[in-house]
Amino acid sequence: MELAAQLLINTLQIGVVYVLFSLGLTIIFGVMKIVNFAHGEFFAVAALLMAVLVNTAADEFGLPLWVGYAGGFVGAVIAVLVLGLIVYRPAFERYLRDLVGSFILSVGLLLLLQGILLEVFGGVPRVVPRMGDNTISILGGRITELRLAVSLIALAIMLLAYLLIQRTRLGMALRAMSEDHEAAMLQGIRYRRIALYGFLIGSVLAATAGALIAPLTAITPAIGGDYLVKAFIIVIVGGLGSITGAISAGFLIALIESIGGFFLDPSLTTVALFMLVIIFLVLRPQGIMGHAEK
Amino acid sequence: MQMNNIQKLSMAAAIAAAFAFSGSSAFSAETLKLGMSVPLSGAAASWGKGMEWAGQKAVEKINAEGGVKAGGKTYMLKLIVLDNKYNAAEGTKVAHTLINREGVKFIAGALGTAPTKALQSISERKGVLLMTTAWGRSVKGPKFPLTFTQANTPAEVLPQLYGYIKKAHPDVKTVALFNPNDASGKEIEKDARATWAKLGVKVIISDFFERGTTQFQSVATKISRAKPDIVDMSSGPPATAGLVFKELAVQGWKGVKVVAAGTAATSFLKTGGKAVDGTYLGVASNFDSATATAIQRSLSAEARKKLGEPMNALFISAWDSVMAIKAGIEKANSANPREVAKVLPKIVFASSYGPTAFGAAHEYGSPQQMLVPSIVSQIKGNTVVEVARSVPAELKKKIEMAK
Repeated sequence: MELAAQLLINTLQIGVVYVLFSLGLTIIFGVMKIVNFAHGEFFAVAALLMAVLVNTAADEFGLPLWVGYAGGFVGAVIAVLVLGLIVYRPAFERYLRDLVGSFILSVGLLLLLQGILLEVFGGVPRVVPRMGDNTISILGGRITELRLAVSLIALAIMLLAYLLIQRTRLGMALRAMSEDHEAAMLQGIRYRRIALYGFLIGSVLAATAGALIAPLTAITPAIGGDYLVKAFIIVIVGGLGSITGAISAGFLIALIESIGGFFLDPSLTTVALFMLVIIFLVLRPQGIMGHAEK
Repeated sequence: MQMNNIQKLSMAAAIAAAFAFSGSSAFSAETLKLGMSVPLSGAAASWGKGMEWAGQKAVEKINAEGGVKAGGKTYMLKLIVLDNKYNAAEGTKVAHTLINREGVKFIAGALGTAPTKALQSISERKGVLLMTTAWGRSVKGPKFPLTFTQANTPAEVLPQLYGYIKKAHPDVKTVALFNPNDASGKEIEKDARATWAKLGVKVIISDFFERGTTQFQSVATKISRAKPDIVDMSSGPPATAGLVFKELAVQGWKGVKVVAAGTAATSFLKTGGKAVDGTYLGVASNFDSATATAIQRSLSAEARKKLGEPMNALFISAWDSVMAIKAGIEKANSANPREVAKVLPKIVFASSYGPTAFGAAHEYGSPQQMLVPSIVSQIKGNTVVEVARSVPAELKKKIEMAK
């Protein structure tokens, strides 16, 4: 029972960040039909800014940590929102529904942003001062207060994102665009505006994931790349463009990592994940919740 | 035609200028490029940055003292440092850039077994002398006559470190090994396993992780439930090692913590917090203390200001390798790497530790290992405390013979 509880707690901790990160990726693909390889850099920017802002607030201004956390989170998300606007208009907007063009563009953007981040922030890992470091026990499984708080906040944001997509007019428009953009346009939905909103929502979700993971790990400009690979696995397994698919697959991948890391070698778990992708691509390429294209 | 005074002065000035720019050794120095292949980004970036800084300090000192003199020429050193990202692919790119594009003949430091092997595959063919901190045994031996190790490696570190731990904790019987899933990790795992076995400590878990991993909850669950007496992250980079021990503490594991390649970088303490208190380190030292030499204390004080952390054995190896290259060139009276490689095993030179030499032919088949003290340290609070030190017997003998 204790072991099961610990493995589930591990799954929750790992899964929430994966899901938030890959939700953004799948929304962007669903609406714009582009694969954004630079998505990981938005995540990295937010994580790095969170580290800088929290440390500055504590060291330079002597503010309490919770103020630094709150300010850092808001600052990081706003910064990525601005970055998203800067790269969308002159670049991505020209390659809507163009897989090859957007692939080349996003890879170039990834390299550019990686170089800039390395130059600005340096390569040495950064750490956010911890708060809520006490360990609590839930049904025999152990987790720190900070990780529990991060997991709960991430779940709340996930729920908000789901409600936004499922219950609002904007969400309805995003889903309509994702299913049939021509029919949606015939209904009066403005494609370019909705695509912009979709891109910004996706970027904000990546930023949220980055800002939440920052206090839990050591952050370098390369952190986005590691999560991007997992996010692509999740999006493929869950179904490109499917929100519920991304959520299901995100937790499935986290469960595999949690159980695989316990019973097997962590490096073998990585192999297992790629095997899973291959199996899905062969047997069910549309993913768990995706729809097969005609 | 008779020259007027202005013409005579102009002629004299032109002749003087011709001598000044003629490249005559009496008036000019050549530039000798030294290369470095180290990680400047990622979890191990603190190691690379520290080596870059220490190497640059050595170069500045030598140039300030007039450069390196050999074969009737004077050489001013120039250090070129490139980021190998601690992987073979980037290490290969760095190797080509340093050797083929920059024409470097001496590599003053290569960190990481995988990128070092990539570099070595070119350096040995092209006659480039390579100094490395790589912990893989496979980079040394008579097949690689131009390769030398500039810092202690598992054969020098592990017996002393593990032996000390077994003495201090005689009841320990089991160990969990956790290493990066690359050439460094795989080679060190073999050495660690063998060394623990000699001390009667059984390896009950040996797992590997991908560099860049940031979540260690599952493996921490596995290790904490197996209840090993010791957890040994032999070759884990500082930031990662801190995260792992932090997660182990959360999941309730209490035991002896070891990082054989531990340098006590600031990132290790920051990511691990109180969880890393008591950790034994194999490549750290307190270079601020009385056991350090004057030059080490001076460098450490300056490193605190410039890097935000003190010197450690890995950083200082970059200083020592530059000094070794200088001594080798001057002894060989030549900047030809093959000539320098022949004399290096025969000389005693001034490193940051004092008189130092190359040796350990009995271990590797050829005398390619820089003989420096092997130091065991432990983290107590936020401080690194030296708990044991041994000077290789071979070094003492070579120093005696040189007198």
